[in-house]
Amino acid sequence: ESSTANEGGLAAIQPHPLEHSWTFWFDNPSAKSRQATWGSSIRPIYTFSTVEDFWSLYNNIHHPSNLLVGADFYCFKHKIEPKWEDPVCANGGKWTISCARGKSDTFWLYTLLAMIGEQFDYGDEICGAVVNVRGKQERIALWTKNAGNEASQLSIGRQWKEFLDYKETIGFIFHEDAKKSDRPKNRYTI
Amino acid sequence: YENEYTGKKKYSRDFLLTFSEQCKHLPEGFDIGSDITDILLSVPTGISHVIDQI
Repeated sequence: ESSTANEGGLAAIQPHPLEHSWTFWFDNPSAKSRQATWGSSIRPIYTFSTVEDFWSLYNNIHHPSNLLVGADFYCFKHKIEPKWEDPVCANGGKWTISCARGKSDTFWLYTLLAMIGEQFDYGDEICGAVVNVRGKQERIALWTKNAGNEASQLSIGRQWKEFLDYKETIGFIFHEDAKKSDRPKNRYTI
Repeated sequence: YENEYTGKKKYSRDFLLTFSEQCKHLPEGFDIGSDITDILLSVPTGISHVIDQI
């Protein structure tokens, strides 16, 4: 019967909603060099709230190894700006991993999937993630909301390393410290 | 896929990865501005369908 076939077809293409909407942001390295004010070249690219829309974009954009040196690519919860000044980020901090140039693609994808799939026990604490492409290395940072809450930061850091199977020690920096110093000290390591 | 304790929509990595092959085309109406199209997109906009068919 045709109606049954239609129902089956519809069910197959029903999108899978995510717990949160997420926004990709991009900071263009060539624009950065022309503009003096930090943050003026960063802009939102795309907001998605289903598994399908995530892949539609992800499959068509360059992954970190193919981005230009100097590029910053972000995935943050919708309505949270990836800036220290954002009220949700203001009291937060970040865990950072680094790897050789060209080696962060899988780490980046696994970070995104863990975030959007709500795999962190303290997922509410997470603001988003950023990958920084630099000449000698690529860095991925996971931004969280309440830096002072040690238990939740340690849980997030521990789980992140597990998801990525990342063996090196990672450090957590408070945004507040980063604002005051070029070389802020790690407040937590794991 | 809603977790019965937290009410959250949780998806494992393996589950999410199964959708990758089904979503090959840019979202409809996607437009990021021509200045960064080449830097960011791995396929030029508008011809991704053509590439798949070759």
